[in-house]
Amino acid sequence: MPKINQTIQTTPSFRVLSENQIEMIYSAALDVIQSTGARFHHEEALELFKNSEAVVTDGNLVRVPLSLVEKAIKCHPRKINLTGRTGKYKIKLEKDVVNFGTGSDLPFTYDRETGERRRTNYNDVVNAARIVDFLPNLDFFMSHGIVQDVPNPQVYDRHQFMAMLKGCTKPMVLTCVDGDGLKDLWKMASLFRGGEKEYRLEPLFVTYIEPISPLKNDKTAVEKLLFSAEKGIPCMYTPCPSSGATAPATMAGMLVQSLSETMMASVLTYLKNPGMPLIMGGVTTVLDMITTTYSYGAPELSLASAANTDISKWLGLPMFSTGGCTDSKVLDEQAAIESATSNFYAYLSGASLVHDVGYIDSGVNASLESLVMNDEIIGMIRQMGKGINTEDEYLALELIDKIGPGGEYLTSEHTLTHYKNWFQPRLQDRSDYETWVREGQKTMNDRIREETDRILKEHQPEPIDDKIQKELEQIIDAAEKRHSK
Amino acid sequence: MSEKLGKIADGLLHGKIDEVGELTQELINDGMDPEEILQKGLFAGMDVVGKKFRDCEMFIPEVLRSAKAMHAAMEKLRPVLSEESSSKAGTVIMVTVQGDLHDIGKNLAGMMMEGAGFNVIDMGIDRKTEDIVEMVKKEKPQILGLSALLTTTMPKMGEVINALKEAGIRDQVKVIVGGAPVTDDFAQEIGADAYAPNASIGTEKALELVKG
Repeated sequence: MPKINQTIQTTPSFRVLSENQIEMIYSAALDVIQSTGARFHHEEALELFKNSEAVVTDGNLVRVPLSLVEKAIKCHPRKINLTGRTGKYKIKLEKDVVNFGTGSDLPFTYDRETGERRRTNYNDVVNAARIVDFLPNLDFFMSHGIVQDVPNPQVYDRHQFMAMLKGCTKPMVLTCVDGDGLKDLWKMASLFRGGEKEYRLEPLFVTYIEPISPLKNDKTAVEKLLFSAEKGIPCMYTPCPSSGATAPATMAGMLVQSLSETMMASVLTYLKNPGMPLIMGGVTTVLDMITTTYSYGAPELSLASAANTDISKWLGLPMFSTGGCTDSKVLDEQAAIESATSNFYAYLSGASLVHDVGYIDSGVNASLESLVMNDEIIGMIRQMGKGINTEDEYLALELIDKIGPGGEYLTSEHTLTHYKNWFQPRLQDRSDYETWVREGQKTMNDRIREETDRILKEHQPEPIDDKIQKELEQIIDAAEKRHSK
Repeated sequence: MSEKLGKIADGLLHGKIDEVGELTQELINDGMDPEEILQKGLFAGMDVVGKKFRDCEMFIPEVLRSAKAMHAAMEKLRPVLSEESSSKAGTVIMVTVQGDLHDIGKNLAGMMMEGAGFNVIDMGIDRKTEDIVEMVKKEKPQILGLSALLTTTMPKMGEVINALKEAGIRDQVKVIVGGAPVTDDFAQEIGADAYAPNASIGTEKALELVKG
């Protein structure tokens, strides 16, 4: 007989902030926007604010009445669907659906041949793209490195997107130089959907934009925001405060400031064209007070990001969080510890996009091996997130009775069915000592390197159609010509 | 009077901004040689701060409080220092190059340099190359610190150095460059005098460069 008054918890449940605490942070952020304000270094933005209920003083300091802020923040869609270029990979950005992916624009790459750190080039981005295209637990792609072997750094973004498209068929998050750059990337992406309106139904990428904390918005960031609002391009406005330096040293204070920065962007896009798909975010971490490094391995990064995710869920906005990254210069024990803990916390928090997987050297150096290691970590974490099923088949009462005291389960049908739901590591070693010695005493690092070699050798993503390839190149050539003048 | 010197050094260590400023003024009024105040009071105290920072006994927020105290003392001392002494604690111009609005690293380096006794002129962010050159002509600093966070704005640092050459004043100022994407190789490539991977190394390099 089925029971009544039952609560079943199908997955683990985790939160950092209570609803009352979220309300406190939100309320404080409204006060910041209304009393302190933010600076905008962009003429059209200032005009938009001046023609609204907002007040502009001191040239570019914008303060907004909270009634307008609250109107704006309610206008963004609660979910965003993204589809990769071929249609094979689709992700949903919504509450408690967690997608993992890389970060972007690392100036250096760990060279696999020489073991040295060197400047990232076009081919490095193609390789990172191919790795991410292959790895089953990475769901979206950011460029990992920044393409620097191009004639003009002002158009690097178009080349970088091309490198990304070449190697990867998953949905993406893109950085760009300015509004003009974003326009080109959007045109390039639209080619895969056959038109601008069609593209809006199935966007391929989210635009990455960041304010400069505290409370400053530069010209190029605003250009990108306004273009995204105009065209309905999904975009994230993601502060990167360093607690203690560009934000308060308290996590709550940093969250208040970050939320104000994001909500200011919400107001601006509302004034331009309400309804832009907006993703909240932030790499909310601490400035290490010995080295002055902006830390990618600090536990405070994970704590503040998870709290920020609680706020995002309360606001009904998808969240761009951080994990799988490290301050370590190489892929060592520190890298593994920091990657694993940050991924796990971000996963439990239920953030929509967890990025920066594979960052080493405090967000400066790119490692392909780190991507491969993190794929395994994320596989484990997703398993832990599955929770416990307590239906009759799973309680296995009949089976326990049938096998009885002193029996064995190895040969039962029940085992054959259910062991398949376990996590099977691809790279971790669980062999006995003798076997391990016989097979060459390989460390995790050895196995990661071999797997990375194998993927790079074997995995080829579905190629881009010739016609689209040509059209993509035309857009890039035109941009080069415009900028060479 | 020498007791007051000890108090200055101790005040610096504990970041007692007002006290250090007042004591410095008192010693000047007492007629002590400004060079002695600088060496035996201020530099002696900041040497201990530097050592404790290297040994991880003091952290950035404490070091910056000491730097503020140093700054307060130098405000009083600089007008009475001899030309030779004040060049040891010379002038630094700090600026973020055009197109870049990031400034936390530059500000931090500026504060650390004040702690080392430098007179720091902060030109702020997003400054045009020609404005920087004009400022160098006007203020004649010993050091010019250029900062950029973005790979897209980094080339502007080379542009500033070339503009200094064109203006014929390249050899009058030492240029230190810094920022996340900057490297030693890049610094050499664009003809900078030094590369600062962080604020405290930047300060050390600045001190080395003014010593010559």
